[in-house]
Amino acid sequence: MILDAARRGLRRAGALWGLVAFLLLVNLATAAILAIPLAARLRDDLANHAAADNMLAGFDYPWWSAWSDARPETTFGPDILGAGFAFKNLDLLLRGRLPAGLFTMPDPERPEERGTPFDPAVLALGVAYLVLQVFLSGGVIAALRAPQPDWTVRGLLHGSGFYFGRLLRLALLILLVDAVVFALYAPFARWADVQAREAVSERTAIVWMLGRHALLLLALIAVNMLSSYARVLIVLEERSSALLALLSAGALCLGSFFRTFGHVLLMTGLAVVGLLLWSVLDGHWTTTGYKTQIVTFLLLEGLVFVRLFFRVATLGGQVTLARRLAGGPAEPA
Amino acid sequence: MRALSLVGAAVVSMALFVRAETPATAPSPRLPPVPSPSIGCDPCPLAPPALPPPTPVDDPTLPPLPARSPRNANYTIDARLDAERHTIQGSLILEWRNTTGQAQDTLPFHLYWNAFRNTRSTSARGEGRRAARITRGPDATRGFGYMQIESVRELSGGAETDLTPSLRYVQPDDANADDRTVAEVHTPSPIAPDATARFKIDWTSQMPYGDVGRSGWVHDYHFVAQWFPKIGVFWKGAWNAHQFHPFSEFFSDYGVYDVRLTVPQGYILGATGAMKNAVDNSDGTRTFHFHQDDVHDFAWVASRRMGEVRARFDETGFHPVDIRLLIQPEHSHLSARYVEATKIALRSYGTWSAPYPYDQVTVVDPAWTSASGGMEYPTLFTGGASVFSPRALQSPESVTIHECGHQFWYLLVGTNEFEEAWLDEGINSYHDEKAAQIALGPEGWGKRYFGMLAAGRGSRAPIPVIAPGVWLRRGDSEVAGLRKSGAFDAMARPTWGYRNADSYTVNAYTKPALSLQTLEGLVGDQVMTRILRTYARRYRFAHPTTEDFIAVVNEVAGQDYRWFFDQTWFSAEECDYAIEVRNRPARALAGYAEGPDGRPVLVTSAREEGHGKDARTFDSEVIVRRLGGVRLPVEIRVQFTDGRVVYETWDGQYRWTRFRYPGARVRAAEVDPFGKIAVDIDPGNNSWADNAPIAQRAASKWAMRWMFWLQNFLELHTLLG
Repeated sequence: MILDAARRGLRRAGALWGLVAFLLLVNLATAAILAIPLAARLRDDLANHAAADNMLAGFDYPWWSAWSDARPETTFGPDILGAGFAFKNLDLLLRGRLPAGLFTMPDPERPEERGTPFDPAVLALGVAYLVLQVFLSGGVIAALRAPQPDWTVRGLLHGSGFYFGRLLRLALLILLVDAVVFALYAPFARWADVQAREAVSERTAIVWMLGRHALLLLALIAVNMLSSYARVLIVLEERSSALLALLSAGALCLGSFFRTFGHVLLMTGLAVVGLLLWSVLDGHWTTTGYKTQIVTFLLLEGLVFVRLFFRVATLGGQVTLARRLAGGPAEPA
Repeated sequence: MRALSLVGAAVVSMALFVRAETPATAPSPRLPPVPSPSIGCDPCPLAPPALPPPTPVDDPTLPPLPARSPRNANYTIDARLDAERHTIQGSLILEWRNTTGQAQDTLPFHLYWNAFRNTRSTSARGEGRRAARITRGPDATRGFGYMQIESVRELSGGAETDLTPSLRYVQPDDANADDRTVAEVHTPSPIAPDATARFKIDWTSQMPYGDVGRSGWVHDYHFVAQWFPKIGVFWKGAWNAHQFHPFSEFFSDYGVYDVRLTVPQGYILGATGAMKNAVDNSDGTRTFHFHQDDVHDFAWVASRRMGEVRARFDETGFHPVDIRLLIQPEHSHLSARYVEATKIALRSYGTWSAPYPYDQVTVVDPAWTSASGGMEYPTLFTGGASVFSPRALQSPESVTIHECGHQFWYLLVGTNEFEEAWLDEGINSYHDEKAAQIALGPEGWGKRYFGMLAAGRGSRAPIPVIAPGVWLRRGDSEVAGLRKSGAFDAMARPTWGYRNADSYTVNAYTKPALSLQTLEGLVGDQVMTRILRTYARRYRFAHPTTEDFIAVVNEVAGQDYRWFFDQTWFSAEECDYAIEVRNRPARALAGYAEGPDGRPVLVTSAREEGHGKDARTFDSEVIVRRLGGVRLPVEIRVQFTDGRVVYETWDGQYRWTRFRYPGARVRAAEVDPFGKIAVDIDPGNNSWADNAPIAQRAASKWAMRWMFWLQNFLELHTLLG
């Protein structure tokens, strides 16, 4: 059933590739809000500096070091290069800095410090994007539930607007659940760190450190799965209560935990494989002038497209699973 | 036509001249004149050359190497470790020869472990960098430790005089009565100059838990340093026995160490010196006997878990050295890298100063969460490694090279680490960066992820991620620290006189290393090597000072470089040069010019040349500014659009200088093109280039990459809603 759900989800996403491209445009446009000013700032700061030549051919660390010292909140640095962007983002997530630093876990020995400075504009944009995606998710699920997946921009926006209120309430509930997860996790993390610190061998300590991070990630994926199914139920069954939809989703997931979670893990695994393949490509390609930049742009946006594709495919698979597990009418083949 | 020819002749004649314009103000009378800078470098600091061959031990052009140290503080020590209670019981015989030139009846001793005695010690009152504290749980007080002298006796002939009643704790640095890291005893009769006194000291120690201080235990790993009552140094006419401060290190006299250590059987033991024998005792313990001549301290490590790797450094021109690596089992895959890094240090430092004279060196890979890593002791040092250690990050290589390097700058040249930390840490940091760049190439940039919430000493986040295509040259990673904390303090201060831990790090390590790299740029690599060889040989087994070092610089360089040290070592001023270029369309000649008959001729033009987009002739000027307080001579490289390259020099005395180039257009200009001025806190403003299109492309390239990160960052939010 997991594989069938995954297959159907991928097929549906494939049929709705235009929708995925639309989501990519939304994602790109949102990011461009801050990327364009950054480009202008970099152009002005690099103008008439020999560092511009170095930055075009590679990375001028001394120039960047002084540049970033003047901007302590900047998120532009060598840690976003290659596959580093994924590690950086995952680290931010698991340290509770998303969204908007709501769940930040401070250093227990320096509780007054809230972590390294972070651009508030980026954090705010993250919150705005989250709300935007909550808005769009109703239309996406509505497109996925159709017997023959099809979509139009108008139809997408209509569906999004129709379900937005309920989905927004659901999103707030999910944030509450996330808060509970982080609140429960923080003392566990401190305890696990004590075990790591007391370990005789670094290997044992690594198991503790990576283990607790993996546990949090799995918990967040599980909560996201809950959220997804709740959204699916709201759209499929026209539920009006976000809380009841959440509870139903909980019952559905718990009742078929291995299928529902297994499906999510499978899709996540496929996405990770995609990331690894992309990393290999990215590592063998040098970006300099405009021609190579165009190819790089396509490569980068290609990965984002794949990521969005997998998100839609996962939702599609969850629509299939929700129907089957709820004992609803069979889907057309 | 004639007018145009005159205009052309005027322009060409002006273009043949290059003139520097400086205001007629005299340099500040406070600073002596500086030497004229030379153009270029051979080789340049940014690309150090291959290692030169070592000099012979008996090189007649260098000071002779002493055969042995003064040996005025010899220790015979017997100690027993209780590995369950983490205590040490010890007894030592100190043979102290009075080389002070005065009769002495008051002798200070360091009792370093009392820094961990309680929360009121001087060390504990600092920023908490190496301070014991109460934690939670059943082991809340394990971080505390002490050193308690049970008895002190003077041995004379066959008699013993009990000096214990005379013991007093003193606090020469801060009058903190709660600090017991220095104690004095008084002899009933003064010890005459050149006489040798013998003392027997019995003591007990409680080892603190090892996640804070350099000494301590973690499980069965016991790293034992600064562990016995150690006599102070009589220096510059007075006793120099400082308390233990948050940032300070150590200072002691040279001697012979003969040490017997009893530990439970099954423990592997590493120590200063060579192991003479190991004897199993009937009580389930084992006694190891170590001996080393001509060192000023003794440290040791005992653990059940360590693996052992043996290697040998045996290269032409160097004394052969047995390398003993004691390594944690989970780091055994890094053994070859540890050994190779040790050889790099022995080779490089032996070439740049004088060969390592001892027969062995022990390398210790510290246990997980032990704070004993990254530290030096005579013929023994600790490194630091992680299970996942990509080569590009040069770990454990960099810490191994640095700590092995301390065998040369700390052990063989025994400077006062309390008062002049830069003489060992700074010179060592200067050399370790150079050694690493020559042997290993530039270092990659990486970040480690998924570590603990509290970043403690001895623990690192496990997963390293390397940024592709980002390489750090020599000194690159240090400049940021200098920029952040370099202005807090003048470098030349006692360690407890720095504002905070960052200032200590910058002034003990970063600033002296970068300033020595700058000095190398000014005098050249060969002269710099000769300076350090001369200094290392002249002061082997001695306690030189900063003034001694400066004197050697002046002697070998053949000129007075005091002005350099006044600005870098004895000042908190920053060094920052910047450059700007103005390319303006050439001014067309209008007005009276000299006619062919020598009489004025009125010249007019319908429009001025050079205006608008098609301007073909430019007048340019390059302005170099000194933004910081440090005045150093600099070179300037100017490249023109016609391909010509011109080098200029400037003494850096005034705030700015200007170079004019009529009839030429500057394409690129750079101050310090050879990277000699390593102390410049902002190398990014040292260059100018007419590269607006390139800047645009570079900006779009990196903005696009950042946007990609942001797109993924935004998308990650959907996991939470």
